Amino acid sequence: MAVGGNRTGVKWNKGGALRRNKFRLDTSGIDDLVEKLDGLGGNIQKAVTQALEEAAETVQEDTKEAVKKAYLPAKGQYSGGDTEKSIVDNVKVEWSGTIGEVGVGFDKTQNGAGGFLITGTPRMAPDYKLEDIYVRKRYKSQIVESMKRVINEYITDAMEGRK
Amino acid sequence: MEDELKRYLGSFGYPVIRQGSLAKDTSYPPTFFTFWNIEEAASYYDNQEAILSYDFDVNVYSTDPNTAYSLLDQARTLLKNNGWIIAQRGYDVASDEISHVGKGMRVIHLS
Repeated sequence: MAVGGNRTGVKWNKGGALRRNKFRLDTSGIDDLVEKLDGLGGNIQKAVTQALEEAAETVQEDTKEAVKKAYLPAKGQYSGGDTEKSIVDNVKVEWSGTIGEVGVGFDKTQNGAGGFLITGTPRMAPDYKLEDIYVRKRYKSQIVESMKRVINEYITDAMEGRK
Repeated sequence: MEDELKRYLGSFGYPVIRQGSLAKDTSYPPTFFTFWNIEEAASYYDNQEAILSYDFDVNVYSTDPNTAYSLLDQARTLLKNNGWIIAQRGYDVASDEISHVGKGMRVIHLS
């Protein structure tokens, strides 16, 4: 997820399916809210950090739940245990200048079937729930809406003089 | 739309199967396509269905990496020339068999 331009931005990076490098969100609605908060003198970095971290926690929990329910072997590099361990759980936003990033999805450097589950293989259909999280639009829209709610709270605080 | 996609992919002369449908005891063909229907979504305007979006994964698996790369590229060109939207050049996809490499892309058709 990226907000471009010269404004403070957010970026949703890393993890996701083996085949995709980024969990992409359409953040055009958030850009406008960030700009509004900026205009009110609100703390953009704090707002965006909170929005990103709460969203990342949601994705992390939903991913763990989906992996628990997926049909995976008990042992081996594609086991349920290894796959669960490979879920990125460092829900901490890292800032590079005006861009904030948080990792979600699966750590590709570890064993686990995360990539297989999302893309499927010729012998295994994609996991529906993980595809919902990492591929389909509806879940991502919900994540973006939850981020907007957080930033709107900061906007309200700024408008009411509580910065 | 699935039939149209299968027809285009089938024109290259390789098997075309749904992702996940290959039986465990069936060998991978040397080169083949798979597809997966991610979603079909409708956009509405004035309470009327305005646009239907058909979203698929298309993958190529092959014992020869060059074939996988080249075939995916050819499929990309053919589909784009026939109105499909493809925003990527491709990415790696997982293979059950160590003998094969997989390359995939996401394709969308709007109607």
